[in-house]
Amino acid sequence: MRNVMLFVPLLGVLLFAWLYSAQSLNAIPTAIVDLDHSRGSREFADKLTGAEKLNITAYLSTYQELQEAIAGGRIVVGVVIPKNFEQDVALGRQTRVLMIIDGSNMVYATNASAALLEVTRTVSAEAGIRTLVGSGMQLDQAREAYKPIAFREEAWFNPTMNYAYFLVLALILNIWQQCCTLASAMNVIGETGMKSWLQIKASGVSMTRLFISKSMTHIITFMLMVLPLYFLAFRVLKLPLQCNFGVLMFFTLLFVIAIHSVGTLMSSAVSNAVDASRLGMMIALPSFVLSGYTWPIDAMPPLLQSLVWIFPQTWFFQGLNYLTFKNPGGDFMLPFYAGLIVTAAVCYAISIMLQMWREKLQ
Amino acid sequence: MGVQEISPILEAIDLHKVFGKKKVLDGVRLNVYPGECLGIFGLRATGKTTLLHMLVGLDRPSAGLVKIMGSDIRKGDRYKALVGLVTQDKSLFQDLTVAENLDFIASLKGAPQGNITSLIAKFYLQDYLQMAVNSVDAGVFQRLALACALLNAPQLLILDEPVKDIDLYSQHLIMRIIQEFLSQGGACIYGFSNMESSQNMHKVGWLDNGRITVYEPAEALQIWDSLLHSYNNIDGEKDE
Repeated sequence: MRNVMLFVPLLGVLLFAWLYSAQSLNAIPTAIVDLDHSRGSREFADKLTGAEKLNITAYLSTYQELQEAIAGGRIVVGVVIPKNFEQDVALGRQTRVLMIIDGSNMVYATNASAALLEVTRTVSAEAGIRTLVGSGMQLDQAREAYKPIAFREEAWFNPTMNYAYFLVLALILNIWQQCCTLASAMNVIGETGMKSWLQIKASGVSMTRLFISKSMTHIITFMLMVLPLYFLAFRVLKLPLQCNFGVLMFFTLLFVIAIHSVGTLMSSAVSNAVDASRLGMMIALPSFVLSGYTWPIDAMPPLLQSLVWIFPQTWFFQGLNYLTFKNPGGDFMLPFYAGLIVTAAVCYAISIMLQMWREKLQ
Repeated sequence: MGVQEISPILEAIDLHKVFGKKKVLDGVRLNVYPGECLGIFGLRATGKTTLLHMLVGLDRPSAGLVKIMGSDIRKGDRYKALVGLVTQDKSLFQDLTVAENLDFIASLKGAPQGNITSLIAKFYLQDYLQMAVNSVDAGVFQRLALACALLNAPQLLILDEPVKDIDLYSQHLIMRIIQEFLSQGGACIYGFSNMESSQNMHKVGWLDNGRITVYEPAEALQIWDSLLHSYNNIDGEKDE
């Protein structure tokens, strides 16, 4: 274990370097809503497909469809071409193209905003100059005096692009989940690794009853720890909470059970409490980064995109973002609930099997 | 009615224990009857603690079986309600106080709270109740350990070096309480490494090279003295 620990900081550097290897966000999922359905609007849409950082993944018919796509996390940027777009451009009238950004993830939002700025400057200038030339102006004059197409940005779910809304709750919960993971890592070895384990074994108390009681105490304590954090976040700091508080607590409870199961598994696998702590730190520390909360999962290397879902922290922080900003509903959240439940079931089952195997070996 | 006509409280039948390539126990057999104290004498690293742990079900033999009150201890944990254990290593809960240890262990054993009060008085632990267990001296610790072992009113005590290196008062108190326990029909298996303590036993099982030979205490002491004498003679010849 010491040899492994020697390489953990190096592994951490390699992991983070790999994680952020894309360096910038490209291929931001974008949808176009063409309400004009004209040749001009189609030409304009074609220009958007050529934008470097935008990946046009959907052509939608209505504003409603765009709303649903952004709320469901399938689209980050929506471009709405208004009715009469072609006509307005031809007549030299100012027209407004609406650019909608999903503000619930600040990393996506700021990158999308920057990408759009590049597009809007170029497209607006070209369109404006063409308009003036079309009306008889010399090209040079047009370049000096064009009327650009006005692009208006709206950040949904986090309209003021407030980093505190995005990061504060997550950072607080990150520290909390690290503490919970470390405490859970003592669940088994905290007893079996101590000399007092002899007293427990000699007493004849049911091991099932003992560890269920201990686990329930842990889980209740973890939930009691999170209550003041949520109070501070939502009542004092007024961070956004779109979902019902009961739903959030239920989701948090599933997460607590899942990380407790992971900690219990680690606790069953090691031979002393120090190793359990080390293993707990190895998982707890990078789990927040790997959760995709700060750096989107879609932007991670392909292999990591699948691997990160092994961690309950990924399910939790992804789900937390949806619940607090968007409240997408029970059906949408089902996979997140299921991911945490399956994690708990698998980890507890393996822990039990490990304990039974150790008993047999004795 | 002689002791031998009563069923033994504990029977160990042909116990073997191997650690890797090392044979620690090689066919150990012993019986303990009500009212009897069987001493297990063994020097360091002879397998004494291993044997005692096996008798109480903390460790599994490589072969052989142990019966307590006629029941094979491999088939369930009910026998543990009849047994009290004092380990050689400090196995109480170090981060709890004396009172908390008594309370917690009573809960683990399902023992009535009334037993705690009587044992506190019996072992004169009143002045130490709020002290952390890791701060009490060795004599108080061993008194507490035996009190915890008696919480469930066992019929069999397994004691591993209960009075080693502790003050005389605590030694005397512990031995007196063990005698009381035996006089009330309890049985005791007592691990020790100082042959002078053998006079407190009814029988002495001498553990050597993985095997047990049972002697009367006086006989065991005589053999021990002879061995010491022979080693002294060897040293004397070497000096010459």
